Amino acid sequence: MTADVFPGTGLFQRAAAAFADCVPVDPADEGLFGPGSVTWRLYADLSAPVSGLRSLLLQALHPLAMAGVDQHSQWRDDPGARYASTAAYVLTTTYGDKAAARAAATRVRKIHEHVRGTDPVTGKPYAASDPALLIWVHAALVDSGLAAADRYGIALSDADKDRHVAEMTAVAEIIGVPPVPFADGGAPASVAELDAYFAAVRPDLATSRSTEDTATYLLGMPDIEPELADVWRVLAAAAVTSLPEWARAMYQFGAGGPAPDSVPPSREEVRQVLGILDAVYLGEPGVLEARQRLTLRMRGAEQRRADQARAGQTGAEQAR
Amino acid sequence: MSEPRLRVSRGLTAMRLAARGGARYAVNAPRLFAAAGEHRQRLRDDLALRTAQDVADTLGTMKGVLMKIGQLASYVDAGLAPPARRVLSALQDSVPPMSPELAAGVIEAEFGAPPAAVFGEWDPLPIAAASIGQVHRAITRDGQAVAVKVQYPGIAETIAADLGNVALIRSLLKMAAPAQDVEELIEELRERIGEELDYRHEADNQRLFADYFDGHPTARVPRIVDELSTARVITSELAAGARFGEMLSWSQEERDLAAETIYRFTFRSLYEMRAFNGDPHPGNYLFEPGGRVTFLDFGLVKRFSDDEIRPLIEMVDALCLNDDPEAFRRAMEGAGFLKPDAPIPTADVVAHMSLFYDTIRDRGPRTMTSEYSSVVARRYVDFKSPLAAYAKIPRSYVILQRINLGLFAVLGQMNATADWRSISEEIWPFVLAPP
Repeated sequence: MTADVFPGTGLFQRAAAAFADCVPVDPADEGLFGPGSVTWRLYADLSAPVSGLRSLLLQALHPLAMAGVDQHSQWRDDPGARYASTAAYVLTTTYGDKAAARAAATRVRKIHEHVRGTDPVTGKPYAASDPALLIWVHAALVDSGLAAADRYGIALSDADKDRHVAEMTAVAEIIGVPPVPFADGGAPASVAELDAYFAAVRPDLATSRSTEDTATYLLGMPDIEPELADVWRVLAAAAVTSLPEWARAMYQFGAGGPAPDSVPPSREEVRQVLGILDAVYLGEPGVLEARQRLTLRMRGAEQRRADQARAGQTGAEQAR
Repeated sequence: MSEPRLRVSRGLTAMRLAARGGARYAVNAPRLFAAAGEHRQRLRDDLALRTAQDVADTLGTMKGVLMKIGQLASYVDAGLAPPARRVLSALQDSVPPMSPELAAGVIEAEFGAPPAAVFGEWDPLPIAAASIGQVHRAITRDGQAVAVKVQYPGIAETIAADLGNVALIRSLLKMAAPAQDVEELIEELRERIGEELDYRHEADNQRLFADYFDGHPTARVPRIVDELSTARVITSELAAGARFGEMLSWSQEERDLAAETIYRFTFRSLYEMRAFNGDPHPGNYLFEPGGRVTFLDFGLVKRFSDDEIRPLIEMVDALCLNDDPEAFRRAMEGAGFLKPDAPIPTADVVAHMSLFYDTIRDRGPRTMTSEYSSVVARRYVDFKSPLAAYAKIPRSYVILQRINLGLFAVLGQMNATADWRSISEEIWPFVLAPP
């Protein structure tokens, strides 16, 4: 998915166009996760925008990942486009059928082949296809989904959290993470492995000018529609609040937002703002229909599960 | 009453119900259900709200509030900003009806028994969408055909909580209605929306109007069935009649009669009951030949004090009866519509304002056209006029702007001709012409 696919002025228009486009009308199969997955349930949650923002803030803390983005993409010229293409990738691998997910991954892997160089901050060489960097980006995404839902969204059981992390290894593997256990260099497959991963990777992290630029852009959101600026401020505070404490310390953020003396916004306030954002999103062409397509498939999966459970029960009774 | 007779009477009522246009009501129901090919209808069923959690996901976290604000803002501002209009219509489309089980659950929670026990007959499929709820047909245990408005479970609590976030509502209003003085709107809208959440307010309003118009030859308000109405459920007589769109295909003579009834209803209730139904919306009328109109939906009613009505009367009196521009200006200033000592010649004030009184300044037949209603709406939001800097709409009168922006649009669509001045003279309490 290239940036040009979703031209437009506002961030929301582009994100919405990506969503409407990437949720298939007539998928060949259930894709990498399917409508019964925890991943679909989590991604349909109101907290998703906080997760996205937190995930970008976290990802920017790895100098080698940041160097790749900085030296090889035009994000500074057109950050909205860069964001839309990332969103389109995530949406396609989440909701598309397997062929669409694989095609999207192949495209990104091709781009990654050329994304290599030397990081000016650490002097280290980097390559976007390096599994270590791919796992970093992946882990930040997975961790952010769970952290944002924890604070501002649905309550997942511990078992469902583990299931989500395990489900997500599929999306790590199609982009080039070796399909092996975490201990052998694969993606984390449980919450415990995710936590262990972050503990281990922290010495590699650092902030730089690029990190600061990224955060300044994401939190200040200069391109946003003026009517949404107030709303964005709450969203930014929520994303910062949900970061791990060590990440906030690296950025020198306050407890509840970018300002040192900031107080965390309440769950209620954040959810109200997320509701507004969601309504604005719904107002974009195709979003409601795409969402209905997903709801119908998720309800279908739920129904099938209930039917199977009933059939199983009947079977058990007959066996007795 | 013996059992067989009851059954017969129920059967008769059901037939009458069907014959009296219950089905038509369903066909012409608001677009939520009507937009509806078979496929679309099935989609709606598949997406139905099945649990209170579904309701909260769909209408909680500001979305219900946003819908109400959008509706109300569209009542007081001729043109919502296009993005706001888009959001509003997507939000409306995003709310499917409740599943039959969920709606039945509300009845059970309110009356302690399922619909089949509370009513003689209960139609599990809604016939119309309503504000934060939906309308079902039913027949009471003593055989009366009724419309039952059922509120979404949990919606009142979530909207009430969301209404507490005044800062967010302020920025929403700025988005939705940039032309308005937001501070004047906020409290009024919060209060009105808060009232709408408790259906007992609406039932009280409807009782007030039903009593007042009891026996009126053409205006009719369905009676509330007290024992089947609660904070979450309103049961009223099932009304019959043609919807607005169908009425527009009637002869002009019939349309004129219907328009006269709407006009009389609006101003008689304002000047005599001192209550205004702030929702002169085409969907809230049912028409029968001979100018008979049934008025539905009293969720948004504003009651006025004598002190609030007096300046309105003085303005009419000064402009239309006594031709006294200075008195007109003083009345405007007294009500807070115009700042005192505004450096605008009184002649200009009158010239600007007289458009709103155009149809009642002189006797004789006048036609309300869509052109007239658009000119009124444009003049109303004309912030380039020299008057704009000194004019404002005080809080109590916010909802009255629906006369300029809603009622005239309805009458304009009907292309209605009448001697509005003479009708008004019958209504104006200070003239008391013979009816």
